[in-house]
Amino acid sequence: MIVARDLAPAQLDSPLGRTSPVLKLAVGVVWFVGLATTTQTGPPLVVAVAVIVVGLLFGRIPPGDLTRGVAPVWLAALGLALFNTLFAAANADLSASTVAQLGPFRITAAAVDAGAGLGLRLIAIGAIGAVFILTTDSTRLADALVQQARVSPRFAYGALAAYQAVPRFGEDLTTLRQARRLRGLRVGWHPRLLVGLLVLAIRHGDRVALAMDARAFGSGPRSRYREVRWGPLDLAVAVGAAIALVGALALRS
Amino acid sequence: MVVGPSGSGKSSLGLALAGLIPRDIPGEVRGELCVAGLDPRAAESGAVAAQVGLVFQDPGSQLVLERVEDDVAFGLENRAWQRADMLARVTEVIDEAGLTGLERRRSNRLSGGQQQRLALAGVLAPRPAVLVLDEPTSNLDPAGAAAFFARLTRLRADRSTTIVLVEHRVDAAWPLADLVLALGPDGVPIDVGAPDEVLGRSGERMAGAGIWLPRPEASRLRLPGRLASLAAARPTVRAANVGFAYEHGAPALVDIDLTFSEGERVALVGANGSGKSTLGRLLVGLLRPMSGEVRLEGVDPSHLPATDLARRAGYVFQDPEAGFLTDTVADEIALGLGPAERAEVPGLMARLRLPLEAFGPRSPYRLSGGEARRLSLACALIRRPRLLVLDEPTFGQDRLGYEGLLEILRARLQGGVCLVIATHDERLVSDIATRVVRLDGGRIVDDQTIEGAA
Repeated sequence: MIVARDLAPAQLDSPLGRTSPVLKLAVGVVWFVGLATTTQTGPPLVVAVAVIVVGLLFGRIPPGDLTRGVAPVWLAALGLALFNTLFAAANADLSASTVAQLGPFRITAAAVDAGAGLGLRLIAIGAIGAVFILTTDSTRLADALVQQARVSPRFAYGALAAYQAVPRFGEDLTTLRQARRLRGLRVGWHPRLLVGLLVLAIRHGDRVALAMDARAFGSGPRSRYREVRWGPLDLAVAVGAAIALVGALALRS
Repeated sequence: MVVGPSGSGKSSLGLALAGLIPRDIPGEVRGELCVAGLDPRAAESGAVAAQVGLVFQDPGSQLVLERVEDDVAFGLENRAWQRADMLARVTEVIDEAGLTGLERRRSNRLSGGQQQRLALAGVLAPRPAVLVLDEPTSNLDPAGAAAFFARLTRLRADRSTTIVLVEHRVDAAWPLADLVLALGPDGVPIDVGAPDEVLGRSGERMAGAGIWLPRPEASRLRLPGRLASLAAARPTVRAANVGFAYEHGAPALVDIDLTFSEGERVALVGANGSGKSTLGRLLVGLLRPMSGEVRLEGVDPSHLPATDLARRAGYVFQDPEAGFLTDTVADEIALGLGPAERAEVPGLMARLRLPLEAFGPRSPYRLSGGEARRLSLACALIRRPRLLVLDEPTFGQDRLGYEGLLEILRARLQGGVCLVIATHDERLVSDIATRVVRLDGGRIVDDQTIEGAA
């Protein structure tokens, strides 16, 4: 789950923490596209292991945080792999070699390969996402998007303000449910809760937008309090990421 | 200083001065308006905002960036200051705001008082020609408000900025004012002039319009003390060894032991974050204690069916809007009511100055702060609960709203209702409480029954 979290200074000052968020985002996208070119198990496995090792060593992510970060996606990956292995079309192919017979399910080697390939790709993607989130400060991401990727400040800082408001959703929902209980109504799910949440979210958004405008946001050219510059570290990460991807894809047989 | 009853257009005036009306908030503006030499309607987008700083009431929704120093720098970036100048100015205003050492702190980890001083620092950083403050201290505890006014006093002494202060509670602000503008109920000015002149000339009309005046008034409103026959009253709600902590949070309440009885009027006091609201929610069963037990008339309120709970306990949220569930005022008050209670709605709404004929079809989210609070109070009072918990019921209330609140409580608190109020409002405490319980860091540090009240 992506929620606003405080990263420890150790992670923010780590080599990965100091790397440009835009570059990390680009690496993630390139890896994602690269992994989409193969259905085999080798390449995603190599990428996943590389990302985890780099995240722990160069991102100084506490292992517990990383485990919690990847857990939801990895569980989904496991489910996906099992489902695809059990119900693969290849299992019906009488000429394929049987690996196991589980009751009514005949499982072929081709199905195991395909299921594992699919699951491992999702595992690699989950690892990439978790390491990105756990080493990237949201303010720096917005700064880098504006300064390095030429994203409009209105979009980047608006999104940052919205992201900060995410925890409010939970509090607003709790209050609305308590308000229902106080009127003698059943608590539980009611469509009205969503309407109430939406109204409160829009009103909060309006207020923040008003506060931004009141501080002359968007009135003309901006200067920068926090500079994000390309540096040797970014080059090193880019080269390393390229080598890892090329190396992983070279495992294709 | 701008004073006026709730709904008199004080906030709208501030928004118009900052150029946000009619640009961001559509509306019709007649007459002339000139701010720092500019007409906000004709000026380029942002040109007025570059001259005017605006501080709102709610500290939480006006901080834009995550960290203290970044938020202070935000307004400077928007005006394209040079980086070296920004670095120097940010350090300077953070120091003036008394926030040195907290530069990298996340603003949502600051206290309400610190957040409001940070909001002021961010607005002052670009040296605006005009500073507009819209009830800046109404969400703060007394210590936070005092620190804010101390900062304002120094700022006034500098004489470098025109300060427009919209304020309900005028005692701290009155001595600082050079000019007072009093607005009437429909936004029509009652008077404008030097503070003493305005008070002498129009004091009575202002008081009649529901405006707080700065004199220390002998309170005519003091509710009579608990009836002697109720001195041995039955307990309404009891907390035994109650502890509570929010998810991922430090303990909010520790070892709370208390009994509130029929007819008692208890004020829960203490700084922001001392656990007042949490205790209030535990007493009415909106939260479940993590240790110990709460008993409302002998039963655990958090396990009561909602219909049963609603008749025993009422609770009014600090932010009334957060608890609204329908699209019109008429639906809001009628939600979940039986026929007998429905018949009482028009009378109660009229007494709370929310007559159904005028307010019934309106959206509850489009009410002024004071009106919204009275509506949420009506939603609780209409059920005649035996325990009534109010969380900061006088925030943003004008004098009429305040007197109305006391009057309605006086009328409704017959027959042994137990009233619990979490509040910073010292006037309210002295007008209403028969017992004052002070919390600090989630613990009870003082519990006194007021002399002559019991």
